[in-house]
Amino acid sequence: MKSFLLTVFFVGVISLGSAQLQCANQELNIPKDWIDMKEVCINKMRDQVTEELRASMQYMAMGAYFSKDTVNLKGFSDMFFKSASEEREHAIKLISYLLMRGELTSKVSDLIKRNLIPKTTTWVNGVSALKDALKLEASVTKKIREVIKVCEDGSSFNHYHLVDYLTGDFLEEQYHGQRDIAGKISTLEKMHKDHGALGEWLFDKKLISGEV
Amino acid sequence: MKVFVILSLFCVAAIADDYCYQDVVGACSKTANKHYSAVLNCSAKYGAIEKVQPALQQYINHHFVRSFEYLLMSTHFANYQKNRAGFEKLFRELSDNKWHEGIEMIKYLDSRGGEMDFNRIAEDVAKEEEKERSFELYELAAVARALDTEKKMALEANSIHSEATRKNINFHDPEISDYIEKEVVHKEKDLIRKLAGYATDLTNLLNKQDSSLSLFLFDEYLQNNKLF
Repeated sequence: MKSFLLTVFFVGVISLGSAQLQCANQELNIPKDWIDMKEVCINKMRDQVTEELRASMQYMAMGAYFSKDTVNLKGFSDMFFKSASEEREHAIKLISYLLMRGELTSKVSDLIKRNLIPKTTTWVNGVSALKDALKLEASVTKKIREVIKVCEDGSSFNHYHLVDYLTGDFLEEQYHGQRDIAGKISTLEKMHKDHGALGEWLFDKKLISGEV
Repeated sequence: MKVFVILSLFCVAAIADDYCYQDVVGACSKTANKHYSAVLNCSAKYGAIEKVQPALQQYINHHFVRSFEYLLMSTHFANYQKNRAGFEKLFRELSDNKWHEGIEMIKYLDSRGGEMDFNRIAEDVAKEEEKERSFELYELAAVARALDTEKKMALEANSIHSEATRKNINFHDPEISDYIEKEVVHKEKDLIRKLAGYATDLTNLLNKQDSSLSLFLFDEYLQNNKLF
């Protein structure tokens, strides 16, 4: 009995002594045949994640500027903060797509870098910010088109599914968004010409209530 | 002499009290230029905001930095080899929360008459970039990283709070300290407790020959919100 207890004790000590947690699972051997995205296309997609986040932080700066006490245009501010979160969602959607296709199993750590600080942080007025927003959207649209081009290099490969997704989902949203901003610029600029501060103030309140 | 000092102090205080009004009177007087373009001293600034502003700006930027890092950690757990939907969700939520808290804090800073500066970042946070840092971590390590990060965030909030509670006329600002208390410190406490609890559970669960089933179950409970 004694020797049994001793043995138990020793086994206990040994297992305590070698108390190493098993934190990582074993290497897996999963067929790779289904992973067929081309490197150029993947890299383009990765760059697009950065583009979307950069746009996001630029909108963030607009939101911050228009909620200042000395600017006080809450409608503009709310709209831009919302756009900032939407652009971030776009980046996450692109990431999700890559994950779905079996990508991003490595080199994830440098997918987002700390190079997203907004360039412009003040605007002359609401119209100028809206114009900047439209230019920003146009540049994002152009970048998405470039991703599409690279990902459907007809001769050697064609990522039909991704191209369809980018076209039907992303471009769809871009075009509608651009038309919306262009319309807002038009409405505001007409009022702004003769009614300056009043036009902008009124437009801002209409933005809050969703009437423009 | 003493009386003079006190008197002059009163004068300064009196002038400081109605900056905005004086400017307005000046701007509205008949002799004033018809198109008054100078900026009036009518900002929302009072109390300690001027002193605390740099710390708040920094804190906001740190929110975004951490939000992106959590997003990368979440992404790692979502790849087909890791396939841990629960951990993906945990870190995605951390990322989302930091993002939205950052936005709310910009609004707060603006509400106190401040303005955002996206360039301001603490030296130690800036230095992190010098070393190679991986966000592709296994489960327990990721929880550990998050716990450390959140403690740092909590301490930063404490330091802002201490700025705003110094019993000095230029610093004491109960509105700021209350904001930090209400919006930050309690949330951080809960989050830190949650992560510490996960670290405890995972440490216990992984202390076995094979941890794959433990991690599978833990992940499933995370995913279904069945952990507190």
